[in-house]
Amino acid sequence: MAVVELPSFVRQDGREKVTGTARYSADLSTPGLLHAAVRLGGVAHARIRGIETARARALPGVVAIVTQADVPDLRYGTWVRDRTLFASDAIRWEGEIVAMVAATTEAIAREAAALIELDLEPLPPVVDLEAAIAPGAPLVHPGWAAYDGDARIPREGNVGSRHTIVKGDAEAALAGAPVVVRERYVADGSHALPIEPRAITAEWQGDRVTIQTSSQVPYLARTHVASTLGMPEGKVRVIVPHLGGGFGGKCEGHFEPHVAALARIARRPVRLAFDRREEFLAPDHHRERMVIDLATGVDHDGTILARSARILIDNGAYGADEPYLAQLAAVFAVGPYRIPAVATESLVVYTTTQPTGSVRGPVAPQVTWAVEQHMDVVAERLGIDPLELRRRNILVEGDEGPVRQRIGANGAKTALERAAEMIGWGRPLPADEAIGIATGWWPSFPGPSGAVVKLNADGSGTIVTGAQECGTGSVMALPILAAEVLGMRPEEFTLLYQDTDAGGWDAGASGSQTTFNNGRAVVSAATELRERLLALAAERLEANPADLELTDGVARVKGSPEAAIPIAELAAEAQGGRLLIADGSGDPPAVPEVDAGGCVGRLGGESFAAPCYFTQAVRVRVDRATGVVRVLEVAAAHESGTIVNPIGAEGQVLGGIVMGIGQALTEGTQLTPDGRQRNADMLDYKLVTAADAPPMRVEFVQVPDPNAGPRGLKGVAEPPAVPTPGAIANAIARAAGTRIRLLPMTAERVWADLADVEAGR
Amino acid sequence: MRYETSFRLNGTPVSVSVEPSRTLLHVLREDLGMTGTKEGCTDSECGACMVLLDGEPLNACSYLAVQADGREVTTVEGLSAPDGSLSALQRAFLAHGGVQCGFCTPGMLISATALLARDPDPAEETVRAALSGNLCRCTGYQGIVQAVRSAAAEIREG
Repeated sequence: MAVVELPSFVRQDGREKVTGTARYSADLSTPGLLHAAVRLGGVAHARIRGIETARARALPGVVAIVTQADVPDLRYGTWVRDRTLFASDAIRWEGEIVAMVAATTEAIAREAAALIELDLEPLPPVVDLEAAIAPGAPLVHPGWAAYDGDARIPREGNVGSRHTIVKGDAEAALAGAPVVVRERYVADGSHALPIEPRAITAEWQGDRVTIQTSSQVPYLARTHVASTLGMPEGKVRVIVPHLGGGFGGKCEGHFEPHVAALARIARRPVRLAFDRREEFLAPDHHRERMVIDLATGVDHDGTILARSARILIDNGAYGADEPYLAQLAAVFAVGPYRIPAVATESLVVYTTTQPTGSVRGPVAPQVTWAVEQHMDVVAERLGIDPLELRRRNILVEGDEGPVRQRIGANGAKTALERAAEMIGWGRPLPADEAIGIATGWWPSFPGPSGAVVKLNADGSGTIVTGAQECGTGSVMALPILAAEVLGMRPEEFTLLYQDTDAGGWDAGASGSQTTFNNGRAVVSAATELRERLLALAAERLEANPADLELTDGVARVKGSPEAAIPIAELAAEAQGGRLLIADGSGDPPAVPEVDAGGCVGRLGGESFAAPCYFTQAVRVRVDRATGVVRVLEVAAAHESGTIVNPIGAEGQVLGGIVMGIGQALTEGTQLTPDGRQRNADMLDYKLVTAADAPPMRVEFVQVPDPNAGPRGLKGVAEPPAVPTPGAIANAIARAAGTRIRLLPMTAERVWADLADVEAGR
Repeated sequence: MRYETSFRLNGTPVSVSVEPSRTLLHVLREDLGMTGTKEGCTDSECGACMVLLDGEPLNACSYLAVQADGREVTTVEGLSAPDGSLSALQRAFLAHGGVQCGFCTPGMLISATALLARDPDPAEETVRAALSGNLCRCTGYQGIVQAVRSAAAEIREG
C-alpha cells in the first residue's frame, strides 16, 4: 500500500489548449453554415393545442424549421420509451423542445424561435416528490402503460421504477436492536455544469450525415441519431472535437438528431450552440432531488445490526438513467459497511421538472451525504468516536456486501485511517472550527471497448481508440499502457480519438470507465504487436522469441544488451510487407456473484465490480453570525486500485472535491412552486471559485484488484465527488452544534438552524 | 449602421466594420477567426472570454467591439512567443496539472498574465483572488494556483 509520488506529466493535448489552437465544437465553421435556435416550452406542464410557425417562417433569413411533424413518429428512452424528439401533444417541463429553427445568423434564428406561437392548455404541475406518489396525484404520463419499455419497469402512477436491496430480516433486527436511530434528509438538485455550453454541427453529404458534437458518448449519440431518424448507424458519423468538460452533463444522445433533421430539411450544414441558460436546462443531467429516510439499529458497542432506507428520487419529466441509478442508490444506502440485515428501497418519481440523469458519481453524493451524517448521529447516540464507529463496521476482505457479494482485498480501512491522520483527527481547534469525515464506495463498470495500435516506419506509434476524452486525461493513460507493453516511451505515441468511423466501439466518458475498459483494449492490441515484434526480432537475431525482451525502444536478447535491434528498424522493415497493426478489445472482467434473491427491480446495479473505496476529511469554519461555512482544508485518501498516471488521477480527485464543495454549500437548483428553475444562470447558481477553494492533500492507497482493469486499476473520476458533502456536513454539525439535513447547506439554512438553536426551538 | 473599428490584435493592426451592438468576443471569434477566446456564459460570470485590453483583463462578452477602437487587444493566441515557444505561465499550467478540459484555460492564462505583470511575486491568496473571476469545473484550482506561483518564480529568476 504505497503512497505514490507524482511524476511530471504533460498532457498530449496540452500545448493546443494553452495556445488557444484547440478547437471545440462551437469553434468549428464550414461553408454554407446556418445557425440554429431552439424554441422551448417554457411552462412546466401543458397540453399543446397548436404550434404556429408561419410568422417565424416569414422572417427574412429563416431557412428551415423542424418540429415533431418533420421527424419519424417514434418514442424513445433508455428503459421506457416515454418521449419524442420534439413535444407535440404535451409539455412536461419547461425546457422541453417544441421546435428548432435554422437561419443565416444566430440572432435571426433566436428571433424566429421566439415568434413561434404555442397554443397551450395549462395542466397541474407535479413537483413535490411525496405528493407525486400520493393517491390521486396528477399524472405526468397518463398513457404510459401503453409505452414500449423494459418489462422489469412497472408502470404505476408517477412511480417510474422501484428497487430494493434485501438481506436478512431488517425489520426484526431493528425491532430487537438496543439502539435505533431514524432520520430524514432532503437534497435539492444540482447541475453538472461544464464551462463549455454544448454545440452541435450536422452536415449531410449524400445520404450520410457527419455530426460534430460536444458529447461524452459519441457511439451512444450515433445510435440515438440512427434510431430516432430511422436510418442505419453506418450512415451516421459522430466526431467530438475537444470537449470542454462533461461531468455527466454531456452523456446520453441529445440534440444530435434534432440538428441532423434540421440540416436535412435546410439542405445546408447547421450548427446549434447553446447559451448558458439553455445549457442549464438541457435534459438528463440534473442531479436528482431526493428525500432519504434512514433507520439503523446498533448494538451498544457500535456493531451495526440492521439498516433500512426509503429513498425518493426525482426522475423529472422523462426517463434517462434513473432506474439503474436508483438501484445503485439502494446499495449506497447501506454504505461500505458490514451490515447483516438490510432492507433498502428506492423509488424513481416522475415530476414535471427537468429530467435527471448521470452527474459525476450519480446518486452517490446525496445518499452518502445522508448516510454519513446518519453514521455520525449514531456515533453521538452511542457516545463513540465517529471514526471508531466507521472503523468497527467498514467492509474488509472476506466480508459480505449488501447482496452477499464477497468483498475482496481493498484499501477501505486504510483510506479511512489515512484521511483521519492527514487532517489531524482529534486535534484541538478554535471553537468555530471542526473536522468532519465521510467514507464511501463506488463501483467500476466493466464493458466492451475497442482500440487499434499501429507502429509507423519511424518507430512511433499511433493509438486509434474508441474512447472519449472529456478533459479527464483518461485517454492520456493509454500511451502509458501501450508503451509499457512495447518497451517504448509514452511520448512516442499519438492518439486519434472521438470519431465513430475510426475507433472501436466504446461506452464513452461515463462511469469512470475509460482507462478501465479501453486500457484493456489497448493492452490487448499492443500485446499482439509485441508478439509480432518479438518474432521479427527473433528471425533477425537468430534467437528464440521467448529469450527476447522489448525495452528502451529496442528488441534484445535478455541479459545480452549488445544483441539488440531498434523497434524502429523492425517497424520500417514491416512496412515493406505485413504491417504492424493490431486491434484489441479483450474480455471485460466478470461482475461478482451475488445473492439478490429477495431484491426487486434488478437491473445489474446490485453487484459492485472492482469497487473504489475512499474517505475524505475536511476542516471547516462556521460563522455563527451569518451562517457562512468556509472549508479550510481537505484531506482525501482514495483507493482506486493501481494508479497508472498519478498527476491525472490527482487532478480528478482535486476537481471532484471542489465540485463536492459546491454541491455541499453553494450550488443547488432553486425551483418555483410549479417546478421551473429560478437560478439557471451562473450569477445565482454559485460555483466554487479559486478564492473559495481550500488547500487539498490527496493520497492514493494502492491495492491492485485482480478482477479490474490493466495492472489492477479501477475508475478514478467519479469517487472524489461522492464523500465531500457528507464530510462537510459532519464538520458543520460539530462546529455549529446543529445538524443541517437539507442539501445544499447554504448560509441561509445554517443561519436559520443556528437561530432556532439560540431561540431554544 | 456599421463602424470601422481599428485596433492592434496580438501586436498586429486589424480593421473591421462592425455593428455597434456586437461584442468584442463575437467579433474576435466570428470576424477575426480568433476562436481561442471562449464563450461560457455571456454574462461576465465565468471568465472564459477574457482578453487583455491595454494590458488589463476584460470579459470580452460584455464589451462592445467598437469600444476597442485605437486600443491594444491580446488574446490567448498572443501569449506565446512569435517563434511558438510557450510563455512561462503556459508551460507551468501544463507541468502542474492546471489544464484538464482546457475550456477555461485561455481566460485563466489571461488573468494570470495580467496578475504577474502587476505583481511579480503574488502570495497564494493574491493569486486566488486574481483568478476568482475565472471559473474552472475540472481542476479544483490547486494546480492552476501552483502553476501561477511557479511561473512567477521562474520569471523573477529570469
